[in-house]
Amino acid sequence: MDMSDTNAIAAGRGAIWSAAVWRKTWGDQRILLLSFAALWTVFPWLYLWLSAQIPMPAFQNVLLQVIPEDWQKLSGVPFSEVATYAGRVALAFVDPVVVLAATVWGITRGSDAVSGQLERGTMEMLLAAPVRRTAVFLTQALATTAAAALLCGVLLASVWSVVTFGPWAGKVEPWRFIPAAANVFGLMVCMGGITACVSAIDSYRWRTVGIMCGFYVTTLLAKLVGRLSGSLGWVGYLSVFNAYEPQRLVGGGPEAWRLLGQYDGILLGIGVAAYILGAVIFSRRDLPAPL
Amino acid sequence: MIVRTTSLTKRYGDFAALDGCSLEVSAGEIFGLLGPNGAGKTTLLRVLLGYLMPTSGSGTVAGFDCASRSLDVRANTAYLPGEARLFRRMNGHAVLDFFAGLRPECRRDVATRVADRLGLDCSRQVARMSTGMRQKLALAVVLATEVPLVILDEPTANLDPTARSEVLALVREARAAGRTVIFSSHVLSEVEETCGHVVIMRSGRVVHEQSIEALRRGHRIHAHLRGAFPGVPAEFAGRLTAAAGDDGRIVMETDEPLAPLLGWLATLSLVEIRVEPVGLQAVYDRFHRSA
Repeated sequence: MDMSDTNAIAAGRGAIWSAAVWRKTWGDQRILLLSFAALWTVFPWLYLWLSAQIPMPAFQNVLLQVIPEDWQKLSGVPFSEVATYAGRVALAFVDPVVVLAATVWGITRGSDAVSGQLERGTMEMLLAAPVRRTAVFLTQALATTAAAALLCGVLLASVWSVVTFGPWAGKVEPWRFIPAAANVFGLMVCMGGITACVSAIDSYRWRTVGIMCGFYVTTLLAKLVGRLSGSLGWVGYLSVFNAYEPQRLVGGGPEAWRLLGQYDGILLGIGVAAYILGAVIFSRRDLPAPL
Repeated sequence: MIVRTTSLTKRYGDFAALDGCSLEVSAGEIFGLLGPNGAGKTTLLRVLLGYLMPTSGSGTVAGFDCASRSLDVRANTAYLPGEARLFRRMNGHAVLDFFAGLRPECRRDVATRVADRLGLDCSRQVARMSTGMRQKLALAVVLATEVPLVILDEPTANLDPTARSEVLALVREARAAGRTVIFSSHVLSEVEETCGHVVIMRSGRVVHEQSIEALRRGHRIHAHLRGAFPGVPAEFAGRLTAAAGDDGRIVMETDEPLAPLLGWLATLSLVEIRVEPVGLQAVYDRFHRSA
């Protein structure tokens, strides 16, 4: 083969996108995506069916009269707002099933971006081809983000269907939960971006996952400390979970959308910045031979 | 020259994995890279392909600088890593499809033919393949990629004797098709059989360069004399090296035609004489027996 032929081919390889990597990433995340889609389809129905076992007057009685008022700090919204149908549905978005799944999605997919593939040794053959490291990294990021959007769509569709056809049918408008689902998406992008950035520096997936688990616990504690301590209130601002408040986004009206813009602005901003930083780090670092 | 390195160095702190390595590879030859583990062979290949940034020195592949034009380097190169690891969830066909989709120079039809020649069942999932089968699959990808330079890092490791012979035949066919092959191996007989030129590396440096043609002309003569060794006659000076022991035993080496030499040897009072080809092993041992 004439060398100039391949040089010409190389000249067209400046793209930061690879269709082959896009298809491969969807294949890689297929099982996790289907599992989480199934979980988030079933969960809202199960959650609301169980919630509906407690009649509204009894729920209001417990929330407004039995639980100390100070504990409102933890909920992020007044108990009077929680003790509504919309408020009770919104609690599903802060249930560990949703929060943990969103976090696990971000950590699992983000850690696979670089350190996962370095650890498995598959990055070696992939980067032997004339494809930019940036293209590998950002194509994976886009596929992971698109899948996160799909999952949030599934969650919203399930909430929409249970609100429309479930035990509280007609008691609350389903569109109120669009901002809450969008907030879940923001969390997924944020966790995915931070994890991918750590993965771009690291060479071992287990270590990336460990670092992110530590980050998750720390940031969760920071939010709690910020909420509960008056003098240490500023600590809460160090937590990304400070921008994850879906229960505050179900009130309807412009205020909910304004808050969503603020929250997702922070979460998506951190996520996208972390992805860009990760792409820069990955494109410049040495890649060790697989062990 | 399709590959040229000048004082190429890769350091990790005080440790030099590659220490001022300078070599040249002519287009269209099969170039052997020899050395024990840790000699710097894989580091050299990884620096050339842009996985690692050189600490100092420079290297070019097909005229492109390996540090600043890695994409162009890889567009002209097909690389088989020392331990090729492929995507475990895919089957063999999907792996070949992936790489054919990743870079247009990887010919899917050729890959199938190579896989067939190596006796590989591509319908099997990679996770269920033996190490040798995975090696064959990676070889199918690399040898089906129509680029000027093919770099094979221990290509016959883990292969059965039949597959080894087939791989060596494929390497020779690649050269016949006008491609250059860099062949890194520990199996000296394969290198001697296949390559036209070899370099021996030690501690990150090139310590010897050897033409295989010259090697084939080379002979080693073990002689046992009754009396003292009279020394090398003037007519053979510079063309014959001799090392005499105290007990009348002498070892001589030459790259020249043997006939005139044998005439001179017949004049000596010989107890015993043995003539053998020098062979790559003997050359290699000069640099690594004590290492």
